[in-house]
Amino acid sequence: MTAYVRSTALLTMRSLRALPRVPERLLDVTVQPIIFIVLFLYVFGAAIHVPGISYEDYMIPGIIGQSLAFGVIGAGVATSNDMNEGVIDRFRSMPISRLSVISAQVMGQFCEQILGMAIVIVLGLILGWTPHLTLVHGIELAGLIALGMFAFTWAGVLFGMMVRSPDAMQGVGFIVVFPLSFMAGTFVPISNMDAVPRAIAHWDPISALVASVRNLTQGTHAAGSWQLTHPELAMVIWCLILVGICLPLALRRFNRKLAM
Amino acid sequence: MQTMNESFAIEASGLIKRFGSFTAVDSLDLRVETGSVVSLLGPNGAGKTTTVRMLATLLRPDGGSARVAGFDVVSEAAQVRRVISLTGQFAALDPHLTARENLVLMGQLRGLHRRAARTTAEQLIARFDALEFAGRLVKTLSGGERRRIDLAAGLIERPQLLVLDEPTTGLDPRSRQVVWSTIRELVADGVTLLLTTQYLEEADALADRVVLIDHGREIAAGTPAELKATVGAQRIDVVAANAAAFGSLQLVLSERFEVTSVPERRTLSIPAPDESADLARVSAAIADSDVAVDEVALRRPTLDDAFIALTGRPAEPESDPELEEAAA
Repeated sequence: MTAYVRSTALLTMRSLRALPRVPERLLDVTVQPIIFIVLFLYVFGAAIHVPGISYEDYMIPGIIGQSLAFGVIGAGVATSNDMNEGVIDRFRSMPISRLSVISAQVMGQFCEQILGMAIVIVLGLILGWTPHLTLVHGIELAGLIALGMFAFTWAGVLFGMMVRSPDAMQGVGFIVVFPLSFMAGTFVPISNMDAVPRAIAHWDPISALVASVRNLTQGTHAAGSWQLTHPELAMVIWCLILVGICLPLALRRFNRKLAM
Repeated sequence: MQTMNESFAIEASGLIKRFGSFTAVDSLDLRVETGSVVSLLGPNGAGKTTTVRMLATLLRPDGGSARVAGFDVVSEAAQVRRVISLTGQFAALDPHLTARENLVLMGQLRGLHRRAARTTAEQLIARFDALEFAGRLVKTLSGGERRRIDLAAGLIERPQLLVLDEPTTGLDPRSRQVVWSTIRELVADGVTLLLTTQYLEEADALADRVVLIDHGREIAAGTPAELKATVGAQRIDVVAANAAAFGSLQLVLSERFEVTSVPERRTLSIPAPDESADLARVSAAIADSDVAVDEVALRRPTLDDAFIALTGRPAEPESDPELEEAAA
């Protein structure tokens, strides 16, 4: 067990150390959310009116939920990149736990996403977002965000090992995660959507992320489906399902992985 | 289970690995005595890398069994990983760390404390004559420099079995010499070595025993001298001046002699049991035919001749070194 913790820590440090040497890998968690915030606040925001709440207060929680979901793409692309490096083969042939190689992958991604989340929150606050948090809600929010990052990162690591190339991961992300993240009440209320996207949004897991953050920070209450009226519980369930499925599959995949 | 006194560092029997409908390794038997140097020699796609990856627990065999230092590669994979060190065809280093950082990391992962890992790294850097580039990021190193660090990384703890998969493929001749002399030093230290290569001269220069494989099967095995002896006595090589001359030369010579043809090199090879008398006869035949030749030479048989004699084709086709990897 201590050997596992030690090698995981060493391998996590390895990924973090490489980051300043390949800063372009951080673009997805740094520049991308900034562009979204600015675009939606100043380009679309003027045309969107959500009753009873300022658009800053409506949209920034949406961006936070969306960023959590985008963790799948980020972790997937990074994993796909890393798994193609010869050094992974060396790690696999060394007397260290294979779980630690993959845990380090998750930890490294986790740290990158904390950085991205910090950028979103700080920029949001600067641009006029006013969260109304009690201490209890603050702790609850931090816990939910950490759980969400953990779950979506594991999913990303699994997908990153399943796809053929980082480009393929990017493509899958764009086709699946991108539309789901827009339908999730992220930027406009679900209740005004057309029937089909509204039905999808009611059960879109990202809707639970967005609604949880918005509930806790702004005290709004979404409605329309069970998961929207109980978003925090729904979010926990979604995350546990993701981890329960993706963690064992990722590990199995890593042990069997044939490609160099 | 004994680990130090095993007489065989590798004992594999009936190893099989399939990728879809392609059989990469087909009932391969392989024995490597402790303390010896065995070379797996074969062309691209022969199954060398696949075999090595099964022995190093990176691939699971579809059939047969293999023991490394007495440990089963499937059921005792963790023990195998403790005694083996694999250096693959492509550098297994983190490109975004420096050479030194890589060595320290590998040492720490093998359980050394930071200080001990640093000391070991410095020793290896000195031993591999890598001081001048140890502080550079691995991605900026040349192929030869990277290969040396890669070899060093495999030697952080003295392994019971060192496996080198095509250690000099893609290197320039000078780097190849450096890698060879490093390998010779290791062998002098008594390391058991399994070496794969597609270069006959490499197997000839380094190995005690050579196993020729093709299409995932062993086609011959023995000392380099024994394999050369299977081809018989000395040979005469005739190199045609151009492709047209090669064609007519082949016609002329095959009428009178037993000719092996290597079109890639415009070379015809003829056994010469009577040595200089045969040379005179071949020279006379060439002179009669009036065909332009570049070279006529009497020489000792090489492993290449053995390969051609056994498979009917040369061992070193001018092909893409990535092929085997793609197949794997």
